[in-house]
Amino acid sequence: MKITTPGRRFLLYVVLCLLASFALLVYPVYVIRPFRAQGVRELGVALAVTRYRAPFMVALAAASLAALFWYWRREGRWLRRTASAAAALAVAAMGLASRVNIYELMFHPLGPPAFVAAGQSKLDGDEMVIAIHVGPAARAYPIRNISYYHIVNDLVDGVPIVATY
Amino acid sequence: MWRAEVDGLRLRFHLAGINDQNFLMRDEETGSYWQQITGAAVSGPLAGRRLTLVASDELTFATWKAEEPRGTVLRELPADTSLYAAKDWDVKMLKAPIVIAYPESGLAPRELMVGLHGFGASRAFRYDALLKEKLIEDHLGSEPVLLVLGQDGHSVRAFRRRIPGAGAATDFYRVLVGQSASPAALLMDSATGSEWNFQGCGVAGKSSGVCLDRVESIKDYWFDWRHFNPATTVYRAKRN
Repeated sequence: MKITTPGRRFLLYVVLCLLASFALLVYPVYVIRPFRAQGVRELGVALAVTRYRAPFMVALAAASLAALFWYWRREGRWLRRTASAAAALAVAAMGLASRVNIYELMFHPLGPPAFVAAGQSKLDGDEMVIAIHVGPAARAYPIRNISYYHIVNDLVDGVPIVATY
Repeated sequence: MWRAEVDGLRLRFHLAGINDQNFLMRDEETGSYWQQITGAAVSGPLAGRRLTLVASDELTFATWKAEEPRGTVLRELPADTSLYAAKDWDVKMLKAPIVIAYPESGLAPRELMVGLHGFGASRAFRYDALLKEKLIEDHLGSEPVLLVLGQDGHSVRAFRRRIPGAGAATDFYRVLVGQSASPAALLMDSATGSEWNFQGCGVAGKSSGVCLDRVESIKDYWFDWRHFNPATTVYRAKRN
């Protein structure tokens, strides 16, 4: 299949957009992954990429779709049109995927926590709990439960706290 | 356990990543990222800020309930019950992969430690050593401290080894069951001969009603404690 000049130009644009989107999407995931020691600098870069990539992803998706529009006006064959649309949509899809933090997807945060009185709890006596005392209020967070959520956002006697494990 | 507030702004956190096997939290309000073990913001508008520590204990439910009969406990969600950790989760965790180790210490990466931080110093104690010795008198920096195992054989607390108002440091001993004036007594001090409970409060003798100053302690794996407290020293059990 001979690639025409408009085809070459589109290919160049869309490949650049794909590579840039892929790098912005994958670099933080690569750096911030479990069972790996993170360097201070690479962690800083990965978190900065995570925080600032949204407008770049939007720009790349917009550039890909603009290139697609430009290409479709010059290319009438549907097979090529379909392939070019798939490439441009892949850039947009990576933009959408970058909005998802895999950790926030995997570890469901506990919503507003609910509590029972110590005397009504069915916990075994030897269960370990993390206990706090704020003002007159005493709270216990069973470790087996909190180690699933890892984070509990709570308000104890009007004081916002985050219980972590 | 942290106070989720900076300059009056309440922060709500999500687990958002991992750094050297310790998780990162992201706050909804500013998008800053925080290290769980240090409470320090490592990226974002609040980078460089630290959350305020909220004193906490790791206790058995029975011990806590006896101390806080009016307390409240996080309720299990029926939908999540099957997802909670198994009772032997801590045994399974010993087999989890490790990417950070400090072999020169002679400690296994997942050796369970009780870490103290304060008075300009960090010090770690093998939990197994505490289970064996039950009471450890030591120093945190230049401050005399004691770590004591509760009557339940699992819970641990740490205190400054000074009786408030008395000034000088004193020594503490464990009292034997049935040989104390108060059934709650766990310790006796050598300065006043008073008896003290697991909450660090005098329950019999001259120091009745007086409470020792708590020293915040945390149970943590050695690799994690050492990594985020690089200047830590380690208590070596006394050889008899």
